[in-house]
Amino acid sequence: MRRTLVSGSALFLLLALGCPPAADAQTRDDTLVYALQSDVDTWDPPNSVLREAIILGYHVFDHLAVRDLKTRRVVPNLALSWKALNDTTWEVKLRQGVKFHDGSPFTARDVKATFERVLDPTKKMTARGNHAKIKSVEIVDDHTVKFHTDGPYPIFVERLTALVMASEKVIKDKGHEWMQEHPIGTGPYKLVKWDRKHEHLLVRNDEYWGPKAPYKYVRIRIIPEQATQIAELISGGVDVIKAVPPDQIDVINKSGQARTASSPILRTAFLQLDQAARSGPNPFTDRRVRQAANLATDMDGIIKHVLNGLGDRVATAVNPMAFGFDAGLKPYKQDLAAAKKLLAEAGYPNGVDIVYNQGPPTVEPGLLQTDEAIVADLTKAGFRVKQNYVGDNTVFVARIKDSKAGPMFSFSWGYYSVFDADAILYDIFKCKETYAYYCNPAMDDLIIQGRSTLDQKKRAEVYAKAQKLAFDDAAYLFKWGLRGVWGISNRVDYQAPPDEVDRMFLVTPRKK
Amino acid sequence: MKRYALRQLLQLGVVVVGISMLAFAILHVIGDPVLLLLPLNAGKEEYERYHKLLGLDKPVYVQYWKFASRAVQGDFGKSWYTDTPAFTLVLERMPPTLYLTSAGLVAALLIALPLGILAALKRHSLVDNLCTMLAVAGQAMPIFWLGIMLIIVFAVRLKALPASGYGTWQHFLMPAFTLGAFLAPLTMRLVRSGVIEIMNMDYIRTARAKGVGENTVVVKHAFRNACIPIITVLGLQFGQLLGGAIVTETVFAWPGVATLTVESIRNQDFPVVQCAVVLLALIIVSVNFLVDMIVGLIDPRIRLG
Repeated sequence: MRRTLVSGSALFLLLALGCPPAADAQTRDDTLVYALQSDVDTWDPPNSVLREAIILGYHVFDHLAVRDLKTRRVVPNLALSWKALNDTTWEVKLRQGVKFHDGSPFTARDVKATFERVLDPTKKMTARGNHAKIKSVEIVDDHTVKFHTDGPYPIFVERLTALVMASEKVIKDKGHEWMQEHPIGTGPYKLVKWDRKHEHLLVRNDEYWGPKAPYKYVRIRIIPEQATQIAELISGGVDVIKAVPPDQIDVINKSGQARTASSPILRTAFLQLDQAARSGPNPFTDRRVRQAANLATDMDGIIKHVLNGLGDRVATAVNPMAFGFDAGLKPYKQDLAAAKKLLAEAGYPNGVDIVYNQGPPTVEPGLLQTDEAIVADLTKAGFRVKQNYVGDNTVFVARIKDSKAGPMFSFSWGYYSVFDADAILYDIFKCKETYAYYCNPAMDDLIIQGRSTLDQKKRAEVYAKAQKLAFDDAAYLFKWGLRGVWGISNRVDYQAPPDEVDRMFLVTPRKK
Repeated sequence: MKRYALRQLLQLGVVVVGISMLAFAILHVIGDPVLLLLPLNAGKEEYERYHKLLGLDKPVYVQYWKFASRAVQGDFGKSWYTDTPAFTLVLERMPPTLYLTSAGLVAALLIALPLGILAALKRHSLVDNLCTMLAVAGQAMPIFWLGIMLIIVFAVRLKALPASGYGTWQHFLMPAFTLGAFLAPLTMRLVRSGVIEIMNMDYIRTARAKGVGENTVVVKHAFRNACIPIITVLGLQFGQLLGGAIVTETVFAWPGVATLTVESIRNQDFPVVQCAVVLLALIIVSVNFLVDMIVGLIDPRIRLG
């Protein structure tokens, strides 16, 4: 028996130790290591809803347009220029001399094939909804295309940043299934290998049409545990990590190995109040109760003391980085006396009972801590808040969609990276939309007006009115715009991106 | 022995089918996968299109029949997220988990056997008390915490080992020890009590009376008989070990099947969850079957009873 055990153990050890894959040829100096919390499901970005897929997509593919990280405006990329010929037709001129990783040239045929693939209703492509306003794509010549849209489509240019260009040859010859694991783009890096749930290895595309990436190799490691990511960062195993929790900032900054950087990101957080009574009659159908909630809470104090300043106070849910944001509108200031008075006027002189459905902190840093502070403030004004924590995000989101999250629940919205007020107003403030617990025909009018014209000046005016209305009507309990925190090794230089898309081709060795 | 084996095998089949049904039912209860597959801003039309595409518009029993009739042929369907066969996905991630659990098992035995025997032989001494303390501490320590502590000491402070990842023998040390420390305390206590019980048996006294050396008495007579409950418990603990692997894999960024399964449950990627659950159940049940067989071989009373 003993012999069996010993030889068995030896076999296990042998098995265990005999598996390492061959070491890679790259050296530490020409390799950049980036960590992600979870892996992508596919290398076909339009077939994924994950931010990780968007991030990886930027490295291997190109978009027709991209965001300038300094001005936050959309600027040309594979498209050189665009103009609206009329309300429903856009003409786009394409860059010449661009090559896919397989050597074939990028032309108008690829643009047409890419859009047609995503728009095909028989295909399982998750990005279809984002581009469904496009009716057809017409090839004018090798480097000019026309897009025909279903009605005016003011965020057309914004949406050009949301689809990577694939090759017509690959789409037709290789097909959907092959594309899930073999990205052939025109981007600054090429995929060398993908070891699922473990790591991706990218190598620089030396034929790239734009500026060459400083690092020859990029390793993207999947490290699910945040504490492990931070340990890797300060022990030199990883160069860039994202979504650092506020309480870990000091650990990184005092390590001498790495530092943190923060940037406002295109996501606003707020508490939805069930004004539309989707979950049944509740006190928040009365505007005075909603106003009282906004007046009861000291959001500035919470940002300063609980979030260490990592938030940007907003008057409504429209993010300061979105087109149409009205900086002139000032947020609610805490006034407990006024809040109590409004509650009394609404028929609750002795306070009111409220159930608060809280979701897990999957995207919002410090959510649980700030929630406690908000509840404490609400209590002072006479809201007797019963907290109902839903620990699973799937269950929580399903409950919201099912109209079961009222009368009050935590929420944040990431705009799908469309820097435009429409990207939150339509989804969150329009009657009967999946996530909207607010319904006001006057607001619906403004939202529809805003998306029915291509005149940006007029749109800005309409959105200013919409924000004023949301504020006066205290549509929701407004919080702040979020800030992301990155951990960056002292061996590199990197600017934290406002669109939450990390671009490793912009990382440079640190100047000594 | 043959009939015994046959009966065990039959039970094995029933258990696997039962588990697959249970997993299928639970998955359908916890929520709607289409909500997760599509972007938050997808409209109703998109939602219904997806329901149809995935076959979720059919009754649950029809869905299960479709799944089961394909699964017996080894076709578990394609992952809804990656569009690759679920079987390939799970199989690809199986070796790292098997390596990790095997290494964890070896680590547990390396800790538990010597300490357990030592504690039994030096009963009520300082050594025994120290071993008991170690066992209590080991049982009380969450895997998660131990893993992070090891990383802080060996990777961040001493820079002796890589903090996380997979690929070289250095990557094995901390995860294997963490998982081993999780399994070792119980095994050690069992070894100790087993050896103590057997050391009081008549045949041990006889062996000693015959003049057999103490080492031979302990190793050949006492330990060998103490092995029966240990092997049984190790077999039963294999499921626990896979549970421990989920946490260990997460802490050490180990690309195994345990994290894949948890992630797929979160995403409600039915085909992958089904495939993983069935394969893992098969492994656990097979390990238990093997244990039964080994114990039956060692101890004739069991297979006859």
